[in-house]
Amino acid sequence: MNAKLTARERMTRLLAVIPWVVEQDGAPLDEIATRFDYPRQQLVDDLTQVVLYVGVHPFTPDSLIEVDITDDRVQIRYADWFSQPLRLTPEEGARLLTAGRTVLSLGDDEQTTPLLRALAKLGMALGGSADSAVDVRLGDAPEATLGALRAAIGDGTQVELDYYTYGRDELTTRRVDPARVFSDHGNWYLHGYCHRAEDERVFRVDRIRDVRRTGDPVTHPLDGGGVSFSPDGDDPRIRLRLPPSSFWVTEQYPTESVTSSDDGRLEVVMAVTAVPWLERLLLRLGPEAEVVGADPPLDADLAARAAARILARYAD
Amino acid sequence: MDKLERLLNFAAALLAADRPLTADELRERIAGYPESKAAFRRTFERDKDDLRAMGLPLSVEPVPGTDPPVDGYRMRRADYSGTELRLEPDELAALHLATNLVRLDGADTGLLKLGGGTGDAADEVGRVPFDDALAVMIAAAADRRAVSFTYNGTARTVEPWRLSFTRGHWYLAGWDLTRDDERLYRVDRIVGEVTVGDTATREIGTVNDPGDLRGWELGDGEPVRALVHIDAVQAAHARHLLGAVEELADGGVVAELAVRNEEAFRSFVLSFLDHAEVLEPPELRAGMVRWLEAQT
Repeated sequence: MNAKLTARERMTRLLAVIPWVVEQDGAPLDEIATRFDYPRQQLVDDLTQVVLYVGVHPFTPDSLIEVDITDDRVQIRYADWFSQPLRLTPEEGARLLTAGRTVLSLGDDEQTTPLLRALAKLGMALGGSADSAVDVRLGDAPEATLGALRAAIGDGTQVELDYYTYGRDELTTRRVDPARVFSDHGNWYLHGYCHRAEDERVFRVDRIRDVRRTGDPVTHPLDGGGVSFSPDGDDPRIRLRLPPSSFWVTEQYPTESVTSSDDGRLEVVMAVTAVPWLERLLLRLGPEAEVVGADPPLDADLAARAAARILARYAD
Repeated sequence: MDKLERLLNFAAALLAADRPLTADELRERIAGYPESKAAFRRTFERDKDDLRAMGLPLSVEPVPGTDPPVDGYRMRRADYSGTELRLEPDELAALHLATNLVRLDGADTGLLKLGGGTGDAADEVGRVPFDDALAVMIAAAADRRAVSFTYNGTARTVEPWRLSFTRGHWYLAGWDLTRDDERLYRVDRIVGEVTVGDTATREIGTVNDPGDLRGWELGDGEPVRALVHIDAVQAAHARHLLGAVEELADGGVVAELAVRNEEAFRSFVLSFLDHAEVLEPPELRAGMVRWLEAQT
């Protein structure tokens, strides 16, 4: 839940809270806070210190909204102008449609029927072609691999993975206690405890060459969590200056900071997880991208030597 | 005074009025504006932007009976509330669950307006990049309206058919009215604002599935056939990425690619570092050598 909401976020919530409370003829504070993702104390403050003073000219008592909180229950009266919820914009509708259709595409939801009905109503509001307007593929990984991982998570057993580590360019076999499968920006990931690393790890499912179910119960259960990319605090950091033609880097690679410089270029700081990873990045960027610095310092000829290694193949 | 209170009073004043109100009238009726005229103007403009950004239907109309005409501000209650979706509780709960399972970048205010989140929270299974321009295009595709934007430095008007997210990128498929042909665009290469225009006139066509297209296949013109040799150590990775490849006796493979975008092709080949080599055609091979030589 948000710690601090902006004025806009508070107003958007209040314009939804007010008609809802009016229609319910009063509602418990806690329910409003949960339902509208409104930190409880902020909600109380906004209702008693702001909404209470909202009204129309000439601000006589009968033209002000009345708010009453008794025994943690909220009553709102005389909020005529805000008695209806604000319309859903087409863009807000498109967001809900996208989330809903993505869930349908997963195809394993018991709640499909109410979701289909909701999307049909949303579709009518958005326009006749809503059904075909958006399509989301959460990732490309073999169904068999995803299925095996989900089944192992379901019955709490270990798996053995043949895993290709792209950054280090090596294939390894490891035993993993799988905790969760999730998709982030177009790739499926497995979060679990890796017995080879003796620590939590996140694996890309499309780099799992083979998965074998062992039937052995997990020994290191994890609860939730798992981010797709978590550099070690000890990984070197590199600072790059990028021309506009290389701005795609900020979309495709995890960055720690991005600042624009006066000459229209971007300065980005990234964690270097492995040398081959950095070689690939620098070679793809080309000479226009400038390495400004690294901490700890990196081999200044890294890209040049990688380029020379590849060029050796082209020497006829 | 709290900005929130001023914005709420702004909206209430317009919704309660049955005619357009001038800026001066609003200044009188709403407490909390600065004294000086210039400071009032600045704050007033920001407030209007904020209200519009939240989706409040603020329109500008001439005030009746003024000569010369004076602009007034109006918010009609029918526009404010729009058409109600009338979702049943289980439908709202299903939408809430969907937004929990699939998290789109950016704030989800739509669900709040429909009555907020209900039911159990669920563990997120997916996170998808999203922004306002995408929302505008999806809504336009649903409502069969043309959109205009700048792509590759050119202004285009397109009747959108479908927005697809695949392999980590959003694609727009539709009919390009500027080029009079069907086209596929990478949404992250669309620059600036997307504006919505007229009702579409052409039928929705069959869309090339962007999931089957690779970066180097996206571009204009005829594709160039390229052959890339990939060493045995990376053969499994290549097979996984590309599907059918020619197997060599030493365990390596040769992949045949249809290239329309040399930069994307180069990026892909370089991802194998010194485990891959462009065999054909000579132009692409020479291009790779030039690129690498510039870095030694």
